[in-house]
Amino acid sequence: MSVSKHFLCIALCQMGLALAQESGEAIYAKHCTECHGDKGQGVPDECEDPLEGDRALPSLARYIDRKMPEDDPDLLNADESQRVAEYIMGAFYSPEARAKNQPVPKMAFSRLTNRQFRESVADLIGSFGKITPPGEGSGLKARYFESDGMNKKSKQAFERQDTRLDFDFGGKSPGEGIGDEQFSIDWEGSLLAPATGWYEFRVSTPNGARLYLNGERHDGDGNRRDDSGGKRQPAFIDAWVSSGGEVREAKARMFLLGGRAYPIRFDYFKFKEPRGMVRLEWKIPRGEWQVLGTPHLSPAPAAHVAVVNTAFPPDDASEGYERGSGISKGWQEAVTAAAIETSNQVVGRLSWLQGVKEETPEGLRKFVEDFASRAFRRPLDDELRRKYVDSIFTEGIATDPAVKRAVILILQSPRFLYPELGATKDDYTVATRLALSAWDSLPDAELIEAARLGKLRTKEQVSTQARRLMADPRAKAKLGGFFERWLKLDLETDLRKEAELFPGFDAALVADLRRSLELFVERVVWSEASDYRELMQADYLLLNERLAKFYGVPTPEGGGFELAALDPAVRSGVVTHPYLLARLAHHNQTSPIHRGVFVTRNLLGGILKPPPEAIEFNDDHFDPKLSTREKVARMTQNTSCMTCHETINPLGFSLENFDAVGRFRLSENEQPIISESEFETFEGGKIKLRGARDVAKHAVESVTARRGFVRQMFQAVIKQNPSVYGPESLAGLETDFVKSGYHIRHLLVDIHTLAALQGIHTRP
Amino acid sequence: MNLSTRRTFLRQLGLSAAALPFLPVFPSLAQAAPGGKPQRIIFLFTPNGTIPPEFWPDQTGPDFQLKRILAPLEPFKSRLMTLHGIHNKVRGDGDGHMRGISCLLTADELLPGNIQGGSDKPAGWARGISIDQELKNFLQARPETATRFGSLELGVAVPNRADPWTRKSYAGPNQPLAPLSDPYALFDKLYGQMKDRENLGSVLDEVRDDLRTIAAHVDPEEKALLDQHASFVREMEQNLQSADTANLLFPPPQLEAGVALDNDGIPKISTMQADLLVNAFANGMARVATLQYTNSVGQARMRWLDIHDDHHHLSHEPDSNADAQEKLVKINIWLCEQLAYLARKLDAIPEPGGQGTLLDNTTIVWTNELGKGNSHSLDNIPFVLLGGGLGFKTGQAVRFDNVTHNRLWLSIAHAFGHHLATFGHKEFSQGGALELG
Repeated sequence: MSVSKHFLCIALCQMGLALAQESGEAIYAKHCTECHGDKGQGVPDECEDPLEGDRALPSLARYIDRKMPEDDPDLLNADESQRVAEYIMGAFYSPEARAKNQPVPKMAFSRLTNRQFRESVADLIGSFGKITPPGEGSGLKARYFESDGMNKKSKQAFERQDTRLDFDFGGKSPGEGIGDEQFSIDWEGSLLAPATGWYEFRVSTPNGARLYLNGERHDGDGNRRDDSGGKRQPAFIDAWVSSGGEVREAKARMFLLGGRAYPIRFDYFKFKEPRGMVRLEWKIPRGEWQVLGTPHLSPAPAAHVAVVNTAFPPDDASEGYERGSGISKGWQEAVTAAAIETSNQVVGRLSWLQGVKEETPEGLRKFVEDFASRAFRRPLDDELRRKYVDSIFTEGIATDPAVKRAVILILQSPRFLYPELGATKDDYTVATRLALSAWDSLPDAELIEAARLGKLRTKEQVSTQARRLMADPRAKAKLGGFFERWLKLDLETDLRKEAELFPGFDAALVADLRRSLELFVERVVWSEASDYRELMQADYLLLNERLAKFYGVPTPEGGGFELAALDPAVRSGVVTHPYLLARLAHHNQTSPIHRGVFVTRNLLGGILKPPPEAIEFNDDHFDPKLSTREKVARMTQNTSCMTCHETINPLGFSLENFDAVGRFRLSENEQPIISESEFETFEGGKIKLRGARDVAKHAVESVTARRGFVRQMFQAVIKQNPSVYGPESLAGLETDFVKSGYHIRHLLVDIHTLAALQGIHTRP
Repeated sequence: MNLSTRRTFLRQLGLSAAALPFLPVFPSLAQAAPGGKPQRIIFLFTPNGTIPPEFWPDQTGPDFQLKRILAPLEPFKSRLMTLHGIHNKVRGDGDGHMRGISCLLTADELLPGNIQGGSDKPAGWARGISIDQELKNFLQARPETATRFGSLELGVAVPNRADPWTRKSYAGPNQPLAPLSDPYALFDKLYGQMKDRENLGSVLDEVRDDLRTIAAHVDPEEKALLDQHASFVREMEQNLQSADTANLLFPPPQLEAGVALDNDGIPKISTMQADLLVNAFANGMARVATLQYTNSVGQARMRWLDIHDDHHHLSHEPDSNADAQEKLVKINIWLCEQLAYLARKLDAIPEPGGQGTLLDNTTIVWTNELGKGNSHSLDNIPFVLLGGGLGFKTGQAVRFDNVTHNRLWLSIAHAFGHHLATFGHKEFSQGGALELG
């Protein structure tokens, strides 16, 4: 929320003229320009910030009347203030006025973001083999064998699906048809990685176990003799040899891309040791150690994923979303290291990559040509073929090194790194944009084919493709990233509370809370209705046993995360999700300010500037008998604070019925909670908020709030300023959003389509 | 090394004086600091025992004849010694093959475990450090003897399987070290970054070229970013060029491309690994190495010798099977030729900054998991020490009377100046180092 910080008028108007007849413009010229400039552009050493914001007219008028000019707020009466407000509103203050005044900005020239680089490389190499969508997360296929001697899987006793890799057989057999003393088990399928980052894995067993992860298929993988020389796939963790029957731990880490499936095989055997036991745990990025199990394991097979794990300097996220807005030396070095890393992966796996089975010179040439064309997202013209293919193979160097050089060259090429390079915009540009906005990746074969055939020329054609891309798991992974940021799931800091005040609120519970919110968002967004209103107003949570117990809800049946119906008068969608409420609170008490800022910015689409001075909330400064609400109100009572806090505070106060871990409460320090307050909307009305439900209701009903949601999603997905696409772009998207029944995925298809066709001549 | 000796040295290498300015930071030259000659050691392992009558010289002392198996070492006769009468007396869990390899360099019992051999109780990994790693730690702890890797663990056709039959080097209890059997992977480990830099140099030039072409056709905002990109690329190129001056003294060997890493590739893999090992020593990357042919119970089929049975299977045949004995002799001759190749390679390179050749300062210890295959005896392990690394009295056939191999490892440690009182099993260390000087 912003009116610029101070209206610092030095000149004092003492003439007491009758101002009543003057126009708003004239009043502004007389009393305001000295500090704010003739067009609200600001004046150095006076008020430097441009005079712009998103207050509604009544609010702006009232503000001026109360506080302006800063050194003599009584100078203007309500009517005069109203006229000044009307004038500046239309002239330069409102976003609409600004849009009118400025030329439509140009699309920012961008490089690939780090995520786009990694996803593109994975799909580029994947395109020569297979890209497998994640299967159902129902567990791994498990085969149980009787063994003959130490390590021969001699007879399969049974097959089943296991949901958790945590077994303690004691001294007994794992099941029917198998003796107690010696047996062997293999688990096979795919691992579903929920997020991008480093994963740790830990095998614990007093027996023998080997973990294979994200390997290529090798002949001999299925060999039932564990000591067979035919087994070529290198183990990721090898804990095959026991040591005196003690439980041993073996650990390793691997970088994985979120939203993808990785081949996994876990081999285990027991031979004469007194105890049979094996456990496979993992630690996901920002997670805690836990047993690997559903929903992250699937019996479906998966193909190797080419993962770049070179560390990149973080992308610019100063606008609230990651974008490829600039380059640095560190970035160029990271790109180089990543290109070398990828080239080693390619050369090491040439025999698996389609079309180069024999590694003939012709085969390798074709591979490099396809590699370049897919990386550049368009067919190669003669010049590019000369530069990126011919030059590699004319020097008579041996085949593998030539491919290696080619890969390094192609991945360092500006044609790969800057997807919108050059002035020519054509069908391939549309394909490029669609794949980036939907997947953060390269166009697939179908999209390139559509471009080739000129089938990306109408809005209908493009939105049909956008819908197809949306059905791919890669779209889900990308969108998951938006919601993660939007709902503060991406924060690196630990979420901790004072243990004495909140016993049981430990790391495991926090991990469950995160999961609960992720699952809720996933459930709503990917349901048939994909309804934004459900996201805001649902009267249920997804809880597992631990969460249900902690939050005092009857344990839902089913074992995992299940739907728990709640008092609709109390809980309301993401607004009251305990993860968010706990995240937006201090370690020992609530923080209406954190909550109010979040609601203002993320849920109501408001824009807040940073506070003029940062004041730390210090509980000791207040009379302990005061409620948190009273303390916050006192702390922020001066006028410069209230510029923003008149918006922030009521929103934060209406969530005071939820304590610092998000539990519902009716009192604080034996005083009843007052969650009611009056709130001035961005549209200019006044509404009464009686609690969280009213906040959620307002987020759905306010056009500014909906437009704010559209804007945030647009920025996260397209990584451009929406004004590039015309001053009315957000308004248009918002209108269609409401018409579609607040359908989130429908909105996304509209966003993809709009952005893909920017500056392209379409046929009707 | 002063300038004139360096010149002489370069002439010996056939390098022109023009290369001089690029030499000063070579690690192998830097090593030639005053304080004595460098000492290096290679433990070369081959499996399944030997054929004693065709291996051991009939004589003792300096006047001895090399039998058929050792005949390939004729050119080095004055620089080698055979050591008869040394036994691997380690018992405990695990079958003879497991103890034969996993207790060879560690000289102590295996830990109890889950790996069952053809006899005895199941066992696990070795319970202590192996002598090569002990020496490596000793050398790495001193700046004047520390090298980039310290030690290299190499293999030829070692199966992709980690168990007590396939490991001979241990960093400590339960810490087996995997030998690297892929010469291409070894090449990457030794020279990968350098090769990547080479690749990068030429690639960056082209990247910059393309950036220029494109920048000529875009609007100013894009051009500014592309120019900035080009300047980063240029900077990187310059850094690479200055790094180039830190080139290696000995260029990496040219490996034949596309050699299959399977049974039939063994002869080529063997040569490639030896070339890489010698080059790594010459470039001062390590002073300790192990080179392991297959594994204990090794099952190579030496079809290139027209032998189609597997090595281990043949080694079980009784002495009366003359055909099998002849094949085993041929197999061991071939293995001895690999040793001779390695020795020749080492002998072809002058010691950087020192006297003589690399072989004059390197001892190769040829050893085996067993004394004799068909009896699975761990007595009379066929030990040959070749080269001048340790100052032992070479040019003789030595006979000991029933001594433990722990004591041999003590002699070697002492020769490095590492005066251990015991190594491995304490009881078997009694008597201390063997007299080899």
